[in-house]
Amino acid sequence: MKKHKILLLILTAILFLPLISPAAETGSALKADIIRKEPFSDAKKTGDITRGEQLQILGKKGAWLNIKTAKASGWVRLLSVKRGASSGSNQIKGVLDVASGRAGTGKVVATTGVRGLNEEELKNAKFNEVEVKKLESFTITSQQAQQFAKSGGLKTIKFNYLPEL
Amino acid sequence: MRALYFFLIFIFASFMPQAQALDFGEALKDVVKETAQGVTSSTNATGSESKKVFNWKSPSPQEEIQIGREITGNLLGAAPLVKDEALQKYVNQVGRWVANQSERSDLPWHFGVIESEDINAFAVPGGYVVITKGLYRKLENEAQLAGVLSHEIDHVVRSHHLKILQKSQLLDLGAGLINKQIGKDNQIIQKVIGSGAEICARSLDKSAEFEADRMGVTLTARAGYEPYGLPEVLQAIGQTGKNESSVALLFKTHPHPDDRLLKLDEAIGNRLDNIKGGKTLNNRFYKLKN
Repeated sequence: MKKHKILLLILTAILFLPLISPAAETGSALKADIIRKEPFSDAKKTGDITRGEQLQILGKKGAWLNIKTAKASGWVRLLSVKRGASSGSNQIKGVLDVASGRAGTGKVVATTGVRGLNEEELKNAKFNEVEVKKLESFTITSQQAQQFAKSGGLKTIKFNYLPEL
Repeated sequence: MRALYFFLIFIFASFMPQAQALDFGEALKDVVKETAQGVTSSTNATGSESKKVFNWKSPSPQEEIQIGREITGNLLGAAPLVKDEALQKYVNQVGRWVANQSERSDLPWHFGVIESEDINAFAVPGGYVVITKGLYRKLENEAQLAGVLSHEIDHVVRSHHLKILQKSQLLDLGAGLINKQIGKDNQIIQKVIGSGAEICARSLDKSAEFEADRMGVTLTARAGYEPYGLPEVLQAIGQTGKNESSVALLFKTHPHPDDRLLKLDEAIGNRLDNIKGGKTLNNRFYKLKN
């Protein structure tokens, strides 16, 4: 009876392995960086990573990785982290985490709310009169721009176009 | 032929629900008006049914704007403007000021930030310039924004995209596809610009990009900004992973930032050494709300 239970657990684990493996990935910090609360560069700071520090990668969203260190957790720039290939033991640990309900961030990986602008989307785009009118409503005159420049202390200079070399 | 046209419109109109039938009444009026104009203007243009032939060889500024508006509308259909009036006003102020330093200060320049986390910017004929929120996020000060907008402004000034459209239109003409006027001008424009905003996904010649970079630095400097705004942004973008989706289109349609920096470095040499007092205006730089 107990054998059957273990077998069932292993089978379930194998079924979910491809899905939750990012949750079990380990990595290390390539450089010092700030950990943030949200995957945005202006989000609140929750901690730091120092170069070489070991960490756990819980999820990915665009250019950001959701990570966990010994001291803090949050989002860091993808390029600040070296992603290590997860070892077999880590994968099993991930499975166990799922089984015990400890890994709850798997769904972050599947986040698709952010709008992209690929060729297909551009090609299929439909004319939007309301938005063009809105865009045109923000248009300013040459004189208004001069006023803006003056208020910032910008002074024009004479400068020839850079030559092609 | 014309009678058949009206007959079809009538048939359609009679099958439309009331509200749409009203619009159709308006459209019918337009057709009648245009047809009447066509009759008067085509007296010297033998056999032409059009009210006015679009001058593709050398479009007037109005015609260029007409093309640009169509493309911009399609682009905004793919990604709308960021709902932040202060942001949109700010980019128009910076953009217009930089555009004033170019040869096309006559155009009614329009600038906008669109809702997309991609890193990209688009220049459209007639003076429409659009940058993504993702690119704006990369910017740290007003000089950098001026640098990015300058690069796009130069695509407009040098008619880089217009030339592509002209070429394809002339090819179509050669193939006899649009040697007969098929309807209103914007239908013809639509035919030439292709599907949606696909022109925005087209690559320009590498040399056109390098040229826009050089001119971009120039306009930034002329406007009184710290001239290294654009190179700084290129450095930042260059650190983005090549496989990241946010730069997929940008890297596909442009030379890699590292190559662009190399070219700029060659062109700049010591030419910027004597420019003093260029401003970055960090304090005035508009911060995104989210």
